[in-house]
Amino acid sequence: MSDDKSPDRKQVGSDLIIPVAGICYAIYYVSSVWSFPAEAQRSGFFLAGLLVSLCLIFFIRIGVQMARGRVDWEFTALLGPEQGRWRRLGFVALIGAYLLTFQALGFTLATFAFLFIGSILAGLTSVRRAASFAAIAAISGWLFFIVLLGTRFPLGPFEALVAQVVALWK
Amino acid sequence: MEMNLGGLAELFLYSLSMWWVIIPAVFVGILMGAIPGFAAHNTIIMLLPLTLAVDVDVALTFMVALYCASHLGGGIPAILLNIPGTGGAAATTLDGYPMAQQGKASKALALSFVASIVAGLITSGVTLFMLQYLSQVGFYIRSVEMVVVMLFGLALIAAIAAKDMIKGLIAGSLGLMLGAMGADHIYATPRGTFGFLELFDGVPLVPALIGLFAISEALIMLETRTIAATGSARVIPTWGETFREILGAFKHWFLMLWTSLLGLVIGVMPGAGASIAAFVAYQQARVFSKTPEKFGTGHEQGVVAPEAANNGVTTGTLVPLLAIGVPGGSTAAVMMVVLQFHGVPFGPRLFVQDPILAYGVIMSMFVAYVFMLVTLFPLTRYLSRITVVANYYMAPMIVAFTLVGAFVPRNFTADLTIAVAFGIIGYVARKTGYNVAAILIGVILGPLLERSFLLSMRISGGDITVFFSSTIGNILWVLLAATLLASPSITLLRKMRRMGDIY
Repeated sequence: MSDDKSPDRKQVGSDLIIPVAGICYAIYYVSSVWSFPAEAQRSGFFLAGLLVSLCLIFFIRIGVQMARGRVDWEFTALLGPEQGRWRRLGFVALIGAYLLTFQALGFTLATFAFLFIGSILAGLTSVRRAASFAAIAAISGWLFFIVLLGTRFPLGPFEALVAQVVALWK
Repeated sequence: MEMNLGGLAELFLYSLSMWWVIIPAVFVGILMGAIPGFAAHNTIIMLLPLTLAVDVDVALTFMVALYCASHLGGGIPAILLNIPGTGGAAATTLDGYPMAQQGKASKALALSFVASIVAGLITSGVTLFMLQYLSQVGFYIRSVEMVVVMLFGLALIAAIAAKDMIKGLIAGSLGLMLGAMGADHIYATPRGTFGFLELFDGVPLVPALIGLFAISEALIMLETRTIAATGSARVIPTWGETFREILGAFKHWFLMLWTSLLGLVIGVMPGAGASIAAFVAYQQARVFSKTPEKFGTGHEQGVVAPEAANNGVTTGTLVPLLAIGVPGGSTAAVMMVVLQFHGVPFGPRLFVQDPILAYGVIMSMFVAYVFMLVTLFPLTRYLSRITVVANYYMAPMIVAFTLVGAFVPRNFTADLTIAVAFGIIGYVARKTGYNVAAILIGVILGPLLERSFLLSMRISGGDITVFFSSTIGNILWVLLAATLLASPSITLLRKMRRMGDIY
């Protein structure tokens, strides 16, 4: 952080992500209703107009502050403190991997793997504790959600194995 | 339907029979409320699979009891660790923590519990008798007024809950825009769906709220090693001392009475949450106190006022949801999603079709506070032992089990992706100061606003002036304008005062 930053100066940059994304979506939304009859277009135009107007007011405000030299551009605040940043990005990637493997691995195995790797990425240093935590939580989740509540989660190797064992038992 | 005393007594007994739901909900609520940053709506979201799987009355009783208890629990870390468990407990730290530092932690806890429970009993009792009148409000609100009411609710959230009004308004209108996604109401043609079939029916609310609140919260939690600092003082009083402290708290009954009613009134306004109510009550208690100079140094009144007010809000936020179908806050918005899933109508229709459910919500709240009275007092001794929960356990658990909740309503794997996408929106919004509650309420109100808007336009034959044609609507427009203008005006006045232009 530079020393010349006074408390009056505003950090902008990452603040613009939501309004810019909002405007992009509003334009896309309007384009998707462009060929509709006028009656069906009205609400879309009204909402898009409202969002774009508010974003423009926000941009004007930043523009005025910029002209007065009260603005610092930054995007790093979005990623949080520098310490552990890669671990956090890894955690986000792990969420993506969870989504991709949820169907194939089934609820219990996917949840176990997610909790095990996730707790280590989040800062748990003991692999044994991470494994016990993940195993207890995943099996509790399986018992509660699948066995007790009967929710229709994707079934994987673990659920198939349990089903076979139960069938043999019967 | 009018609810007479006999009906209320019957409802009370029915709610009492739900003890098996209320007691676990109260304990879960206190524990979750005591974990900083983990509010009632997040807990309800985590337990969504449960609330969606059981009957609607059981689900509602559970959510309401948990909601009340979480506000009570929020005061615990505020007093012991100087970290509010919920936003509503932020004002409690001002005098609660100094009391704990002076070795009066259990006394502060007793004050906090008694104020919370008494306030909850008063406000839910008052609401039970007022609800039949409040529910009539819905009959005077047609599609034209509904458009203004919804915009007014969003404007209030932007003006009060959000730190920066323009950012709050952008968040709300982005939510409205996202809520308008899906097939249009007249021609059933998809709009803004990016071609995804899963978005044809609009944004699924459960994944949206899981993403906005729980996943974004979990991502932010990763930035710190633990939620709260360790090493807080753990002073365990004797049973006799605990009993005397609890009895002693009742001497503030008048303060509890008026600050709880203040909380109720603030809670009825959509968007004005417990944190606003608690600070307003704290400030007002100081104004009317005989010893205002003691505030901030460990004054008993400084614990009682905010705790009574934030529990008054819990009842108040449910009133607009029940009476006109507009959620008064984040937790009410989550409850609305669960009710919608169960096909429960809102507003006047609820009072006609299912009055027992409408009154039952408030009665469950009343009974939950009665149970808290019985079950919590002995625990005053031990609650200071609540340990600090490590984030390396919490964050992965929140993500894994809330994603489960996103899957349950429709059994679509795509809903997990939608939840994560909203999680990223929520994370960016939180990091950059856009209110996520405003986005969620926008998403919920989007389709409702659009329906009312189109209906009004159809009735008027496309005449936009229809929105200025009713007295109630015009009054609401004026209030809306006043809400939007109040904040910049106050800022301008303060600036002028600082510069010495006015006195």
